[in-house]
Formats: sequence, C-alpha cells, structure tokens
Amino acid sequence: MNVTVVGTGYVGLVTGTCFAETGNKVICVDIDEAKVKKMQSGGVPIYEPGLNVLFDRNTKQERLSFTTDLEAAIQDAEVIFLALPTPPGEDGSADLSYILGVAKQLSSMIKDYKVIVDKSTVPVGTAEKVHAALVSGTDESLFDVVSNPEFLREGVAVDDFMKPDRVVIGTTSEKAREVMSRLYKPFVRQGNPIFFMDERSAELTKYAANSYLATRISFMNEIANLCEKVGADVNMVRQGMGSDTRIGKRFLFPGVGYGGSCFPKDVQALAKTAEQNDYDFKILKSVMRVNRIQKSVLVEKIKAYYGEDLTGVTIGMWGLAFKPNTDDIREAPALYIIEELAEAGAKIKAFDPEAMENVAKEYGDKIEMVETQYEALEGVDALAVITEWSVFRTPDFDKMKNLLTKRVVFDGRNLYSADQMREHGFYYESIGRTTVEIEKGVTV
Amino acid sequence: MNIAVVGTGYVGLVTGTCFAETGNKVICVDIDADKVRKMQEGHVPIFEPGLNLLFDRNTREGRLTFTTDLAVGIKDAEIIFLALPTPPGEDGSADLSYVLSVANQLSVLIEDYKVIVDKSTVPVGTAERVHAALVKGIDESLFDVVSNPEFLREGVAVADFMKPDRVVIGTSSERAREVMSRLYEPFVRQGNPVIFMDERSAELTKYAANSYLATRISFMNEIANLCEKVGADVSMVRKGMGSDSRIGKRFLFPGVGYGGSCFPKDVQALAKTAEENTYDFKILKSVMTVNRIQKSILVEKIQGYFGDDLTGKTIGMWGLAFKPNTDDIREAPALYIIEELLEAGAKIKAFDPEAMENVAKEYGDKIELVEKQYEAIENVDALAIITEWSVFRTPDFKRMQELLTNKVIFDGRNLYDTEQMREYGFYYESIGRSIVETKKESTL
Repeated sequence: MNVTVVGTGYVGLVTGTCFAETGNKVICVDIDEAKVKKMQSGGVPIYEPGLNVLFDRNTKQERLSFTTDLEAAIQDAEVIFLALPTPPGEDGSADLSYILGVAKQLSSMIKDYKVIVDKSTVPVGTAEKVHAALVSGTDESLFDVVSNPEFLREGVAVDDFMKPDRVVIGTTSEKAREVMSRLYKPFVRQGNPIFFMDERSAELTKYAANSYLATRISFMNEIANLCEKVGADVNMVRQGMGSDTRIGKRFLFPGVGYGGSCFPKDVQALAKTAEQNDYDFKILKSVMRVNRIQKSVLVEKIKAYYGEDLTGVTIGMWGLAFKPNTDDIREAPALYIIEELAEAGAKIKAFDPEAMENVAKEYGDKIEMVETQYEALEGVDALAVITEWSVFRTPDFDKMKNLLTKRVVFDGRNLYSADQMREHGFYYESIGRTTVEIEKGVTV
Repeated sequence: MNIAVVGTGYVGLVTGTCFAETGNKVICVDIDADKVRKMQEGHVPIFEPGLNLLFDRNTREGRLTFTTDLAVGIKDAEIIFLALPTPPGEDGSADLSYVLSVANQLSVLIEDYKVIVDKSTVPVGTAERVHAALVKGIDESLFDVVSNPEFLREGVAVADFMKPDRVVIGTSSERAREVMSRLYEPFVRQGNPVIFMDERSAELTKYAANSYLATRISFMNEIANLCEKVGADVSMVRKGMGSDSRIGKRFLFPGVGYGGSCFPKDVQALAKTAEENTYDFKILKSVMTVNRIQKSILVEKIQGYFGDDLTGKTIGMWGLAFKPNTDDIREAPALYIIEELLEAGAKIKAFDPEAMENVAKEYGDKIELVEKQYEAIENVDALAIITEWSVFRTPDFKRMQELLTNKVIFDGRNLYDTEQMREYGFYYESIGRSIVETKKESTL
C-alpha cells in the first residue's frame, strides 16, 4: 500500500519506518528542510533502539523516502497519517493548530479517496474537527478521518509498533475500516486484537490508558510515602500487591514521579477535557498533585540531611533522562531536581548515558556534565540516583566509597538492597524504605 | 500439624476447613455456643460455593472440629490463627478489641511454643500490639506473632485459599518462618510464591492491595462518567485500555460503586492509618469521594427520567448482593439505592438469587421481595439492574418487553448490548455508554 506520514517527529518516524518494514511504500513529509535532508542522507534524527536497522534497510530498498512537498507526497497515498505535534497550550489543553493546518492544506489537494488518520494523541472530538477542516475544500466522499492512537513506549517503540498489545481504530466508516484492517494485518498475526470503535472512544482510550498508568504509579508513590511514615518496606508491599493477578507486577515501582513527553501531557489534557465537559475528575486531580509533590521528594531528603541551605554542597547525579533507554528529558524529574538543588545553592555533577546533550542545551551553565558515571562521584558530598539505567544497578561499591567525599546516597529508584548498603557502610535513603544509617564510630 | 482457628466467621471457617483439607488437625473455636453446636451437627453457617463439600469431608474424617473452649482448642496447637472481627469504629479505624482480648486470654493459656497468626485484616502495628498483650502473661520465647493476611474473594474463597496467587507472611522470627513454610507448602506447589517480609509490611500489603483495586474501579467509574459527557463508549475504552499488558483486562468494569465487607472498610482504615501517621493520602481520599457519588448514579438517572419525585413509581430491582455469587450485602450499593429511591417516594420490588434473606432483615417491611426475577418486573415502571449475577445476563427480552409497562431499563452493570436493546425498543440507560432512546413511533 502507499502510505504518507506527515510529521517526522518521534511518532511519525517510527510509524513510517515500521509500515515500510512490512512492504508498504512510505513517504514521510516534514516542513523542516534540514531534517529532511539529513534523513535523505541516512541520518536518523532520534535515538530509539532498533530503529536504525529498519531505517537503513527500508531507505536502501526505497520503501521509505522523505520530502518537504506535501502535495507530491500524498498524490498516490491510500492512507495519510497525521503525526504532528500537539503541544500543551497555556491551559493544559492540546494545541491542534499543526494538525488543523495540515488538514486545511489537504482539503485542497485530495483528488481521490484517502483515509486520513490521526496518529498523534489528540483530544476527544479532534477527528470531527479534522473532518470539518477537510470538508471545507473537498467532498465528503473523498475521505474518511480515522483515529488510530499510537501506544509507543520510548526505548521499545519499534517492538511496540511491530508487535502491538493491540491496535485501536476509531472509525464509523466501513470503507476506512477495510483499508485499516489491510494495513495492520501483518502486525496482528499472533492474535493480538484490533479494536474497532467510534472515533471519540478511540481518542479517549489513549488518554485513559496513560492517565491510568500515571494513577498506578502515583498510588504506589503514595504507598511508599506512607511506608516511610509507618516503618513498612514498599519493596515488600509492592511484591505482595503485584502478585495479585488482578493487580499485576508491572508498573508498580515507586520513585521520584512520572515524567516524559506523554504522561504529564496526557494527564493534563484529560483533566482539561473533563473540565471543558463539566466533569470533576477527582482522582486525576489528586494524581497531578501527588506527582507535583513527588518530584521534590529526593530534594527534601537531601535538605533534611544537609540543611535547607546547600551552599558549598556538591551533589553527584546518576541519570537525567525521564526513564532508561532514551535521551528524552521532557518533563523529566531530573530537571525539577536540578532546579531545586541549584536554587538551594548546591553544585551538581551529572552523568547520563544518553541524555546529557539534551540537558546541556538548557542547563549547560548550571551543572557540570561528566563523561563517565564514576566521575560524577569525584569530590561530591552525596550521590542522587534519578534514572534507573541498567548501568547504575550493579555498580562498583568499593569504587563509590573511595570516590565520594561522604558515603551518602539518595536513591530515587530503589536500585540497591538496604542490607548491601549497610554492609558497605553507606548512609542510604531510598523511596518508601527504611533509611540505612551509618553505624556509630564510622566516619562518613 | 495441629492448628487452632479462633473465630468462625467467613475467614476463620474457610481457613480452618482448607487447612484440614491438606491433612492438618484443625480445631475451630468460637464463643457462640449455638453456632458451634450447629457446626458440630454438620451445618455450614455461611454461603460460599464449594465450602460444603470440604466441610463435610473433613468433619467426617475428624480433621475439623469445633469448640467453645479456647483452652482446649489451643492445647496441642502448633499454630493459632486469629480470625476475629475487626469492625470499623466510629472514626473508620479498625476496632481491635476482639483480637486483643483473645490475645490477653492466650497470655495465660500458652504453655509451650506457639505461632500466633493474625489472619484478620488488621492495621499496621497490630502484630506488635498482640505481642505486647501476650508478653504480659508469658515469656517471649514461648510465642511468635505473625501477620498472614487473607486474600479471599467471596464466591471463590475456597479456590483462592487452595490455589493462592501468593501467600504473604510477615515475621522476623526464623522459627515462625519455618513453621509457616511447612504449613503452606502444600498450597504453593505450582510455584506461586510465599513472600516473607516484616510484620508491618505484611499488614500494609493487604490494605494497599484492596485500596489499589478500589482505586482501579473508581478510576474506571470516573472514565465512564466522562464518557457520558463526551459521547464515548466506556466498553470500548475499557477494551482498549485493558489490552495494554501493563494495565490488564480484569477489574476494569464500571458500575454503581464498590461495596462489600472488604473494600469500603479497608479503604477507610488505610485512610485512617495515613491520617494517624500525618500522611495526606490524596488519591485515596478522592477514591472515597468518587465511590460515595457513584452509588447515587443510578438513582440520579432514574430521577432524570421520571423527575425528582418518584411517588407513585415502582422500580423493579435485579440484584441486591454487593457482587454475584454471594449473599453478602454489607455496604452493598443496592442498600444505598433502596434508601434513596424510598426517600424519593418510589416503591421497590426486588429479586436476588441469594441475598434476599439478608435484605429482608433490614428492609423487609420497606420493599417487596419476590421469588423470581420476572416477578420483579411485573407492573413496574422501570427495571434497575444492580448486581451482575449470571442469571441476569441473557434474560428473555421478549418477556421483559411484555412485563415492563414502560420498557425502561437502568443498567448499573452494563450487562446488555445497546444495539440489542435498541432493536427490542427499550429505553436503556447504562454506565458510561450512550442512552438508547425509545423509537419515536413506539408508544411508551
């Protein structure tokens, strides 16, 4: 099939590449000429494990190409994916100007039947708005607008696309349904379902799923906070809960709050949708408050140890990305922690395997970035672990002891066992677990 | 092994019977002489599928006996389970007087080492209080107190006990751990884990698990409420969400609020524990608010249709138990709905396969209870479905059409397909789905 993908951000590029991988002819469109040129010469503009290989293979075999010319790109397309940014506006609602702008352009270009697919995460009712924009210039019989939300997780997006848990397709048109079924057939051979539903339900599904996961994390963060108060161990409580098959083991890890380009934005947008529809979404409001507070939890622990004024204190940071295996720092807890530490007068020495370049753009002058994880410990007063990268999970504790000026570790991801830290003689605070104090007589 | 179970309520009886089933010699102790005599004569005092069979077999073979004499009951026991009521006090906290008073009695009865197990759902710190009560009368070396919360679901409690998802055991004593491991070995042969932890974490685990499930349900209830506002279909959104393997399909059904003897009590008790420990558990507070409102949602729909004053209206009710396969009506949404309907002036005709006897005790003079499900819709103005018993799922719609005067149905459990209801010409309101309006031409 001929597929056009408009927008080559994270979602667009993964979508285009993966559809090319099943034999479709995919043209990706972007207005950014430099970016298009880069992709034409083989450069993958984002970091995503496994994408390179597919990108290379499909560009080489000419199933995947790039252009800035929208009209040329959609000429032969049977399906047009809109994978455009929907940044949160001032009030938290998603800004649809990019999507509706492209819909307007398409309305004067479409000459034969095409399925227009909203792939971006867009609020309930967007399919109707896109429809309205198109119908201002084209006949209704020449297109259908479909909602087909992406469920890609950064770091495993290629896998998520190629082997989806499910595909959600919102359309009331039989014709569009047939086209979409054909397109997705190679991805659901193992019996993973395609759910067909109306457009509004499909649009809401994406927000509901992400907001639910944010609720799950936030509930566990609250349980962790309570554990600290009552002297329980959240790690054990988590295992006891997660083994209930109705609850499940995954996504129950407490930490320093959720971040990234999806959860905060989607939670905020769903809350906005509720507000606009005169519904008081009580749990979601609490979730937002819990997360706001949770992002400060580690700084509070550091201040409780060193005092409110951190002038003269240097903190080593492990991890900046909002989660492992990505260079994405959008809404990352690390940024909030950096801001708060800097405000309290602390110096910061940070290391992240992938995200340092992105952080340098914004915070290059405020913090020191180092090339290896142990460099971040040299001459610092405490280590703060922010992102649970694998490489931080079994570090060389002896080396850590020697490098840290004070054997003090604040772990926002519960990476280490309390017993282990006690044996190594660390002062160790984590989330929802007992503080490991340094034994008497031992100098920090 | 020799086991004593103190308290023969729901949890105690299932616990005692199931331990007898794996070959242990179990003595159940209760102060209620009548109840003990009945059990000695072979009567099972509660309705629980599958329990009868095990009860008969183990009493017949002399492995399961009953007494009112605590001293005799515990004489040879290696393990003593406390399965006593912990009713919510005025302020929502669990009342420990039964548990602690038995502990006091035991403190003068115990002569050799015994493991005392808190099986009831008790707040964090109870194991320590039981320990304190015991240590007043006997030496610390003669006992250990263990927290071993039950995770039984009414209706499938026997299966839950015999094939648990997991067993949680809170103890810091090696000796008690060994005894408990031996006891539970036959139940975890398939690799389902026994998770050992400290007492406080074990106590918290039970509350955290139930509160999490209450949160899950309440989140979906809010999504359903939002669906009604934006015109989406919660059944589709639920499927789209549930197929995310991190979320899971189970326990995502919206309805008229959670009820029963566990969730409301445990949520309230956890909120109380948080409050006592100066933690503001924000999500849980929202969950409680959401559930309070959700229990009124069906009455609001009925009033939306008939007007606030329901004088002269008769509502047929299908389902009274808080969930299917139980006769338990504690905190059942049905009770709230009955109260509100009566207050608005309506008459009620109700049917439930098991719970009518329990409801009759409280509401026998206020509502009419009928023997068959179709009797409940004779000459009523509308049917309200409250509990999702299987028998209500594929009813005889033709017969319903004939019996229901106005063909009006309010479904609190989304049992029927909206298309189907439209074809039959019902006016049909459910939870989080669009209203099926009666066709214009058909007369109400």
